[in-house]
Amino acid sequence: MKKILLTLAIFLIAATLAHAHKVSIFAWVEQDTIYTISKFSGGKYVKHGKVSVFDEHENQLLEGTTDDKGEFSFKVPEKTTLKIVLDASAGHGSSWTIPLSEILGENGETPQQALEKAEINPAAQAMETPEASSVSQDQIQQAVEAALDKKLRPVLKMLAEQKEKKPGLVDIFGGIGYILGLAGIGAYFHYRGKIRDLDKS
Amino acid sequence: MHISEGILSAPVLASGMVIAGAGVAVGLKNLDFDKIPRAAVLSAGFFVASLVHVPIGPSSVHLVLNGIIGLILGWAAVPAIAVALVLQAMLFQFGGVTALGVNTVIMAAPAVLCYYFFGFMVRKKPLIALPAAFACGFLSVFFAGVLVGLALYFTEENFLETAAAVVGVHVFVMIIEGIFTVLCVGFLLKVQPELLPGRN
Repeated sequence: MKKILLTLAIFLIAATLAHAHKVSIFAWVEQDTIYTISKFSGGKYVKHGKVSVFDEHENQLLEGTTDDKGEFSFKVPEKTTLKIVLDASAGHGSSWTIPLSEILGENGETPQQALEKAEINPAAQAMETPEASSVSQDQIQQAVEAALDKKLRPVLKMLAEQKEKKPGLVDIFGGIGYILGLAGIGAYFHYRGKIRDLDKS
Repeated sequence: MHISEGILSAPVLASGMVIAGAGVAVGLKNLDFDKIPRAAVLSAGFFVASLVHVPIGPSSVHLVLNGIIGLILGWAAVPAIAVALVLQAMLFQFGGVTALGVNTVIMAAPAVLCYYFFGFMVRKKPLIALPAAFACGFLSVFFAGVLVGLALYFTEENFLETAAAVVGVHVFVMIIEGIFTVLCVGFLLKVQPELLPGRN
């Protein structure tokens, strides 16, 4: 009895500690800085995990470690597709790729540059030909997109965080059910052979 | 203890698959009918145990239970662990499908080893049986850590350093695992000693 209680106690102690296993890294661009956030499944932040940044040819550009909140940010080192790799030690790892278009914005500019240009130019071009006003419409569109990007980023971040779901009860009982089902299949084949033997005799 | 997808190189993944496949085949051959319910229950236990996590440093660890599973099932531990790992990969996205073979080897090989090392000792006097059970639980996780180091080494990293890091992170688990195995063996010795291998 004592032993059973002790076993239970160990399980309870273990169960109150956080759940974490799969790791994920999420990165987003804000103007010329890239922010990353790294988590274990279940929401624990990866503390002091190593983050390496590679360009499209797998050359390492820089590396750093995550802080207590699993965050790590750096200036865009090079205008190229960036692959950000998290190594949380002991074979736990994950990566996130930022495509070139996200770093450059739509026209090969950072969103901030696009915004500034769009803000200045319409006034200067307001008196010009209709052709010019169509250009400024493009720029207004860019400005709106840049502003939207900026506003949407926190939302994107939240979505990415929520996408990370930890195993639910359904998964757990489903898995146990599968295992019992396999045992059932084993029993079926065993008894099928036995019944056949009985039929013969 | 699961190695994530996309970390190991293809040859390591492939050889993991081959070794795991062979192990599962031997295990299934060894799995006679009366062992099936036992294997299923232990497989379910293994499946659930990995959900209880303890964060240590930048990593996280959990009870592996491969020692006690190996002790009770012998070679049949390989299919039991493989089934649980498949379900973990599918339902929890732990490890991932391509790393299944390697992960099976990492966790099942120490189970089988421990069965051969300690299987004949656990039905002896408590003075021998209980320390053997502790060593079984402890070493099953230790060997698993060494295998993780080995798998990473063949991919690129420094073996000693990685193995030491993995083992270091798991020292706490090894101790808990050892204690847990002692409790299990002590309990089984009283209630149902036939479950354990070896003779008095």
